[in-house]
Amino acid sequence: MTENPTASLTLLSDLTPPSLERTWLTAPHPSLPIVATCSSDKTVRVYSLTNFRLLSTISGGHKRSVRTCAWKPHVQGESVLATGSFDATVGIWRRWDSYGRAEDGTDVRGLSSETLDGNGRDTQEYEDDEEWRFAVLLDGHDSEVKSVSWSPSGMLLATCSRDKSIWIWEDLDDGDNNFETVAVMQEHEGDVKCVAWHPVEECLASASYDNTIRLWREDIDDWGQVACIKGHTGTVWYLDWEGIGNVPSTAAVCEQGTSLSAEWKDQRAMSGPRLASCSDDRTVRIWKRRPKEQRAQSQVGSTGIPSIIRPTGTDETWEEDVLLPQIHELSIYAVAWSKRTGLLASVGADGRIVVYEELFLTSPARTPDTNTPTDTSAIIPRTHTEWVAIAILEGAHGIYEVNHVAWARRADRCRKENEEVLITTADDGSIKVWTLRR
Amino acid sequence: MSAILSADDLNDFISPGVACIKPVETLPKNESSNSQNPYEVTTEDKVQPENLPPAQISLTDCLACSGCVTSAEAVLISLQSHAEVLNTLDAYPELPLTQNHNGPYTGSSDALDGESRIFVASVSPQVRASLAATYGISEKEATYMIDQFLSGPHGLRAGGKHGSGFSWVVDTNVMRDAILVLTADEVSETLKEPSARAISKDTLPKRPVLSSACPGWICYAEKTHPFVLPHLSRLKSPQALTGTFLKTVLSKALGVPPSRVWHLAIMPCFDKKLEASREELTDVSWSPLDGGVPLTESNKPVRDVDCVITTRELLTLASSRGISLPTLPLKSLAPSYTPHFPDETLNAFLFRKQNGSEQSMEAGTSGGYLHHVLKTFQAKNPGSEIVTQRGRNADVVEYSLMSPGGEPLMKAARYYGFRNIQNLVRKLKPARVSRLPGARVPAASAGGNRRQPISRNSASAGSGTDFAYVEVMACPGGCTNGGGQIRIEDAREASTSTQSVTAVENPSKPTPHEQRAWLARVDEAYFSAESDAEGEMDGQAQPLTIPEREARVHEAFEYWSNLMNIPLSKLVYTTYREVESDVGKPKDAPIDTTRVVELAGKIGGGW
Repeated sequence: MTENPTASLTLLSDLTPPSLERTWLTAPHPSLPIVATCSSDKTVRVYSLTNFRLLSTISGGHKRSVRTCAWKPHVQGESVLATGSFDATVGIWRRWDSYGRAEDGTDVRGLSSETLDGNGRDTQEYEDDEEWRFAVLLDGHDSEVKSVSWSPSGMLLATCSRDKSIWIWEDLDDGDNNFETVAVMQEHEGDVKCVAWHPVEECLASASYDNTIRLWREDIDDWGQVACIKGHTGTVWYLDWEGIGNVPSTAAVCEQGTSLSAEWKDQRAMSGPRLASCSDDRTVRIWKRRPKEQRAQSQVGSTGIPSIIRPTGTDETWEEDVLLPQIHELSIYAVAWSKRTGLLASVGADGRIVVYEELFLTSPARTPDTNTPTDTSAIIPRTHTEWVAIAILEGAHGIYEVNHVAWARRADRCRKENEEVLITTADDGSIKVWTLRR
Repeated sequence: MSAILSADDLNDFISPGVACIKPVETLPKNESSNSQNPYEVTTEDKVQPENLPPAQISLTDCLACSGCVTSAEAVLISLQSHAEVLNTLDAYPELPLTQNHNGPYTGSSDALDGESRIFVASVSPQVRASLAATYGISEKEATYMIDQFLSGPHGLRAGGKHGSGFSWVVDTNVMRDAILVLTADEVSETLKEPSARAISKDTLPKRPVLSSACPGWICYAEKTHPFVLPHLSRLKSPQALTGTFLKTVLSKALGVPPSRVWHLAIMPCFDKKLEASREELTDVSWSPLDGGVPLTESNKPVRDVDCVITTRELLTLASSRGISLPTLPLKSLAPSYTPHFPDETLNAFLFRKQNGSEQSMEAGTSGGYLHHVLKTFQAKNPGSEIVTQRGRNADVVEYSLMSPGGEPLMKAARYYGFRNIQNLVRKLKPARVSRLPGARVPAASAGGNRRQPISRNSASAGSGTDFAYVEVMACPGGCTNGGGQIRIEDAREASTSTQSVTAVENPSKPTPHEQRAWLARVDEAYFSAESDAEGEMDGQAQPLTIPEREARVHEAFEYWSNLMNIPLSKLVYTTYREVESDVGKPKDAPIDTTRVVELAGKIGGGW
């Protein structure tokens, strides 16, 4: 089912100039057409997605490789970036949004810089650098920080480390850059590789060298583990949540599409967004929360799933929803689940980029009338989907391992409406921007 | 931290960067009388007499290394465990004590043959609370249970090679009570104008004074936040002070070296093992002999506390001797098993029935240091009122002592738990320029470039430093929730094993709710101790007033100091030091390493 890619990835551009050392991760800004790339050279480079050029370099804050970074969401008029480094610290950087894009959304910098000569650019770049303010350094971790993630509200920052702990910090947002430690979780038995917040709830997922994925929620006074997902047989490198309201592609099942979508949404409403993970075991898996009986809400109506086990307390039961087609031959370092298209991309040590699409299955055809309250007790009314690899690209960065992949809105002049690009970050220090041709 | 230093977590992944290299440096020197290379291959009969000490890491070594908490754990378990208690009891007979009207003395010359020991134990009140909750008995009955076990005829004395047991079992509350008084003294000194202080300024802790009784907190502060060390109260913990007291008084009164007194402490906390192995807490720090020559024959420092076991390990100790704790008689020991302490004045101090100990709900679960300081200052300011404000969570509480006119006279706080300690130390962190300032920052935003000025000099940072006293404990919920306490799972097992073992308990992990309920039961047992004691006193003694307690402690300690001819400061104070280590710190990779070589070196994506 996976041997016939129906789409292809085309290199749109490199982000230039690249780092001279390994780059780890590229984080697209939540609203501006810019990305931040972390590098082993202890800096973070900020590039424009409109012209693929370097805008500024954040340096001087970290003593070792910057492994990870994340943009704080919902900040007005300012960009706030959290960086996590192998020097065991987390930096918070601020900069007024006065470049790259004006308030009204038109390109200011992206267009003008192309007409500037070398001197002009350098001058402007120099000034841009000056505007990054090193707001605060969060220390507490004992060892290399591997991942940082802002909660959907931007109030909480989660950080994780080789010291096996996960810390949750609250951004007091008091104008003084004060952060407070809210929780320290030490249940993981190995290096914690990744933390990722649920897209809307205050629920944190973490992935570790101990091969588990764990989920965390606040309970009364402290944060505690609500689930421990075992299934991967190697280090779990990366996690990404499904977008809210994601619906599989209905292209293959046009007539039934509407009803399938409706049914799908009903089921999603109970179990919530799914979680994708990738691992040293060369698999990408998708996990789904089993709906709790008491969670069943009025809107569930027609699709009440006969829940058998009621977990005690706040515990949640997560089960494997699907194992994606196994295309990678080596460790998979990152997955990216597009919040706009529902497409999922994975990259890893084998240098491949794979893009997967979830399709409704046509075979166990379900007529619209089965979607009624009367027959739900007999059959578990589950819509079936299938994941197919729609694009596979070998050697995306030559012989080098690809460390990270991310989806971003395309922003150059040739863009189409709501078109997305893939951005890959690799050991050779380069960052490449790809378009997907269907 | 206790959460980290728990024995339940021995299979931790020790990352290569923090691998322990210490033992290589600290291997004991080979005996010079035998110049053979110990690493040379020799025949077995040659190896035997040489008797090389086994290459081990000592716990003291591990304290010097900030990296390998997990290695320390393994060693900590092996050096101070219930097995160590059994081995020691089997290795040495009890030193025979003869009782006369002056109390016990060492009766015969064979007492000094070097083979016998005086066994003493000290027990913390949280241990009794944990036992009480486990067996559904009162705190007082838990006291009897421990006494019967350690000293009684049906306890440890019923078995073992020599039938050895513990001559005295001391409640650490006695010394805790003394430390409360001395803590209040210390805090009031720091609040005085420098000119009015009794002692020179440099020996006093900086404000805010931070409690020093929690070994997890001390260990963490020494390793990772040395800037808080000047704030730490100089007072020893109740465990350590009890150790100093027992070793000094017993060795003096009975005429034996302190190495012959073997002191076991039973504690709610694993980190107390780390504390017991501190070199600051040995006879070297108080030995009256000048020139630093210890009293002992071997010239080896003698610890004030020889071994620490936790509440859970106490259960293991009992079961490994085949003793069922709940079947022991829950009544006080016969006088023949409770010899008088060899000094009448100190006996009265040590074994006084009612100590007025603070084990009330408002004093908290960890000894009531903060509560006592507040009460002392309130007593000095008639009409003042203590105002309590809950912080971010239940483990952070801020207190203000308000004058009748509503003026704040003093502020203090309680910070329990690792996450809250983070926020405390961050407030105390001295303002300084970021170690690597952001590049090329213009003067206009220079303030923003520094990491400290923004976040430390603000109003909220100031609130951290205007506390007079902060009670800091590493465990969430304080000492009743110590890492060595009996867990709900163990308690279920312990209570079912007393009945017929039939139905296998539901092996499911206790939920957070069940764990909270269990902790509440332990707390309840802890807080009930005071009312128990009052109930049995037949109105004999009202709880002492604060001035009465102060007088009593000062009197007894002056007596102790005079008896030993050692200044009191050498007995009750201790010191802290920054623990530095290169272990685990990254060595800067050569910069000239070419990119290709570096990238090629990454095999399998070890990041």
